[in-house]
Amino acid sequence: MSRIDTYRHTWTQFKWSVMDAIIAIKERIPFEKKADSNRFGYVLITPGVLVISFLAVGMALLTWYSFLTYDTIQIFTYEYTLANWNRLIQTSAFHTVFFRTILYSTLVTVLCVVFAVPYAYLVVRTKQPILRYVLLFGLFVPFFSGVIIRAYGWLILLGRNGAFNWLLESIGLEPLNIIGTSTAVIIGLVQYMLPFAVLMITPAIASIDRDLERAAKNAGANQIQTFRHVILPLARPGITAAAIVVFTISMANYSIPDLLGGGTNDFVANFIYQTVFGTLNYPFASVLSIVLVAVASIVVLGVFRRYGTGTLGVEVGE
Amino acid sequence: MSLLRGVGQHLKTDHPYLTAFALVELIFLVLPSLIILVASLGAGEIIAFPPDELSLRWYFSLLDEGEYIQPFINSVMVATICTIISIPIGLSTAIGLNRYDIRFEHGIQLYLLLPFTVPLVVSGFILLILFGRIGWIGNIWAVGLALTIINIPFMIWSVASSVNSFDPTLENAARSLGAEEIQTFRHVTLPALMPGVISGSLMMFMLALNEFIVSLIITISDTETLPVAIYSAIRGNISPQIAAISSVYVIAAIIAIIIADQLVGLDKFLHS
Repeated sequence: MSRIDTYRHTWTQFKWSVMDAIIAIKERIPFEKKADSNRFGYVLITPGVLVISFLAVGMALLTWYSFLTYDTIQIFTYEYTLANWNRLIQTSAFHTVFFRTILYSTLVTVLCVVFAVPYAYLVVRTKQPILRYVLLFGLFVPFFSGVIIRAYGWLILLGRNGAFNWLLESIGLEPLNIIGTSTAVIIGLVQYMLPFAVLMITPAIASIDRDLERAAKNAGANQIQTFRHVILPLARPGITAAAIVVFTISMANYSIPDLLGGGTNDFVANFIYQTVFGTLNYPFASVLSIVLVAVASIVVLGVFRRYGTGTLGVEVGE
Repeated sequence: MSLLRGVGQHLKTDHPYLTAFALVELIFLVLPSLIILVASLGAGEIIAFPPDELSLRWYFSLLDEGEYIQPFINSVMVATICTIISIPIGLSTAIGLNRYDIRFEHGIQLYLLLPFTVPLVVSGFILLILFGRIGWIGNIWAVGLALTIINIPFMIWSVASSVNSFDPTLENAARSLGAEEIQTFRHVTLPALMPGVISGSLMMFMLALNEFIVSLIITISDTETLPVAIYSAIRGNISPQIAAISSVYVIAAIIAIIIADQLVGLDKFLHS
């Protein structure tokens, strides 16, 4: 026997003895007979439930914090008050921020869906593998390169001495100051969210039977009519899910308003961050956090009511 | 428009306008990443267009100055820890939910979506408070755990889709051939779930490598991850060195896509 064979032999023996030991241990454990097998299911989901309990406990904690008194030295004292909530209700600056966050996120959601549907359609229906590959590549490069990197890319593109202004000047136009405007925030957010939207709409379009499109064509519909009356209604669950995901993620975004908005286009997330690290006002940051979660949930539930849960409903299970 | 249409026709598709429209979107999607690669190759002290001459000097300066080396190591460690923790959790949760009768299954599914419904900045704030109270702030593995918490649904979904498409009669076949329960799991079930585990792991790793806002909130200077370091640098100066370190990410993204394509195929990855 060569040395490699000896090594393999020892390794196999080792694996077998490990497996035997595990089985021996398992047989010592009293439960997991057939009658108990459902109980084993609860054991299996425990780690997942525990990991997420950090967030559940945290939300409860924030609710409690939101009624505590802010103190500049100790951060907060354990005296209950409604001052933090009153501050939110009475300060119009915060209303403006919430309104801006919702407005921009809605705009971004609409743009993303409008852009994502044709893209997803082409990914599914194109007959050319190369085109599909290129489209998928273009989807995953931004998806995998993170929000900071992309915001930085936009800074280079749209900045005062950026590529876009160089292009404008070279064709004899005045350079533009895009960074620091709402346009920059919208562009950044749409580019950030578009891959998510396409990824969620693609499966919905893939599940549409091709014959339905052919039937529509035979019945005399042109491409736009087919799109309007066949594709869109059938892809609606995917579109609903995409809209929800785009809206909630945009609403919670911090880095794009921060880097591209130039301080005048802040979202609620920026306010929360400043409240936590600027003034260390944990109670008020808790109020802002709870309201942000609540607003997002209300919008999502509203969409669920009106359009159904889309493909987000029962993702796991049969 | 005639130019775009020409491109569409050249590609010989039956949707020339649609193809042209999608190609414009494609440029919109990849332009920010590509511009970083271009900017990182400039030789000047500031980023200028077009770059006067091309050089790799900023890449060498990254190695010489080394201020990004620790954040880079931190990011890779955090992503690795996050992926390693999430594999067993994702496997057992997905199997538990799909294979066993669990009461309140619908409620549990909604609960498992909590990382998506709680905005990331709020999750960061929560973890800052909780980890602060327990005394975990400043540990690199705590950052890994935090990223597991916020991204775990991706892993569960990915494995769950493999569990759903797995045929349980294969397990019965193995058992009737004399395999013990655990042997069956190791040699039959686990290999069948591997595609889901691989795409889930890739997802977790890449998301953790890129994660920004939660890391910004819960890291201190010792545990600072690369996106946080890049963010601080962007606010401070405009040196092309930042473009060079950012290119590392773009290149990592491209490598990850190629790996995903080789292992599971991009089409499949799309549906997980």
